Amino acid sequence: MSYAVHDLTKSFGSLQVLERIDFSFQESSIIAILGPSGCGKTTILNLVSGIIPPDSGALDGFSGKHYSYCFQEPRLLDWLTVEENMRYALASRLSVESTRSMTLSRIDRFLREAGLADFASYLPRELSGGMQKRLSLARAFASPSDILLLDEAFSAVDLKQRMDLMRTFLGLWSDEKPTTIIVTHDIHDALYLAHTIIVLSQRPSRVVSSIAIDIPHEERVFSSRSMARYEMELYRLLGFNRQE
Amino acid sequence: MRLEISDSIKYSIFWRSLGIAIFLIIWEVASIAVSSNLILPGPLLVLKTLLEMCQKIPFWLSVGGSFLRVLEAFLLSVVLGILTGTLSGMLPRFRNTLSPIMTGIRATPVLALILLAMFWFPSSQVPVFSAVLMAFPIMHTGAEIGVQATDVKLLQMSKLFSVPWKTVLWKLRIPSAMPHLLSGAKNALGISWKVIVAGEVLSQPRFALGTGMQEARLSLETPSVFAWALMTIALCGLTEYLFGTLMRRHFRPLPRSANQSLATRSVS
Repeated sequence: MSYAVHDLTKSFGSLQVLERIDFSFQESSIIAILGPSGCGKTTILNLVSGIIPPDSGALDGFSGKHYSYCFQEPRLLDWLTVEENMRYALASRLSVESTRSMTLSRIDRFLREAGLADFASYLPRELSGGMQKRLSLARAFASPSDILLLDEAFSAVDLKQRMDLMRTFLGLWSDEKPTTIIVTHDIHDALYLAHTIIVLSQRPSRVVSSIAIDIPHEERVFSSRSMARYEMELYRLLGFNRQE
Repeated sequence: MRLEISDSIKYSIFWRSLGIAIFLIIWEVASIAVSSNLILPGPLLVLKTLLEMCQKIPFWLSVGGSFLRVLEAFLLSVVLGILTGTLSGMLPRFRNTLSPIMTGIRATPVLALILLAMFWFPSSQVPVFSAVLMAFPIMHTGAEIGVQATDVKLLQMSKLFSVPWKTVLWKLRIPSAMPHLLSGAKNALGISWKVIVAGEVLSQPRFALGTGMQEARLSLETPSVFAWALMTIALCGLTEYLFGTLMRRHFRPLPRSANQSLATRSVS
């Protein structure tokens, strides 16, 4: 099973954001969309998930799929506890008797795997920023879906929390291996997580290149020579030279 | 932490008590300066008159009558305001259609409303009608803003996760609207008391604070007028306080677990 995006174009008024975007990827893979800030990465996720319609172009393989979304900001209900936030997102499954117990155990499992089991009765504002992001990740994973969308899910936290979050993500992902599209402006996020990296240009965005990363996750060490090769290539594609 | 909260409450009580004391001193000084109980009786005389009135059954019947009218007007305003406010918040056409009517109601002087209502309603219902027309727009605005207060991003998230509409309503829309609804309801309650008593003064129904106030005025019993007014203020303050406490207990948008000290549980 594969997914493909053909000639996707989108404008907001007179502002053209995407120009003939083309890429494809396999099921159960992690794809990273990398590009400068404001180039329309989130717009691609919104188009893929059907939040907004494209001006032109086609989406193959996405029809009828269920999505789960980890937004740039956690988007939690401040008045519900950690567990209640999870239950809220999974309410449609909890309301059906046949899926209720399985859904409850999924909530427990993903809270545990995200390191939040001890904080189930806490309110979001009682958590740190990193923990809120972990909750948002756990919510996205716990909701059964065909495609998982992550929008800058690892940004706006310090380096340690960022590494913790990415490890949490890989730990959760390795269980069920959902097809995942990650949007990021950070080369390291993309290099550490993705099987394929789609590099976008400045707005109006076009696909500059698609790079397959053929290193297993457990061997991805930033200082290694093989990773440095990809890193240099990505910097070049994004228009940086070595001095920058 | 607990000590800090307790200190802040103590300070709050101290400053409020100081404000009341200053007001009473000014009142007493002014009363001595005027030296006429017919024009400005002192606070002690008013309090004594009020205590005497409290020993009479008709006084409590008047309190009960006014209270029931306030309750009726308040409940009608809340139901009507939530209904029209919700529709206005959701449907721009409805909002635009209703807008001139609401502007007209808001701009109408309360006395004009009461005088007109006296042509249309029995004396006991004149204050209720007037109070509903004054309090309902407040509730309407609270509900309208409340409906629009739901975070669009949270609604988007709910749609993506296919959250059922009933869950969205109870867990997201109502809690988001609640602060605006409660604020509107509290203001509507306060305005209901004022308009009900004003309406009673003019329409003279049986068993009413306003009727008692007007009868005392006609008999030139100024301390009694002050006593009736004091009772009205006390009842208005008390119901607003009780309503606030009740609402905080039942509709506070926090789960039970949050009642524990937040400071000790905060994780950073």
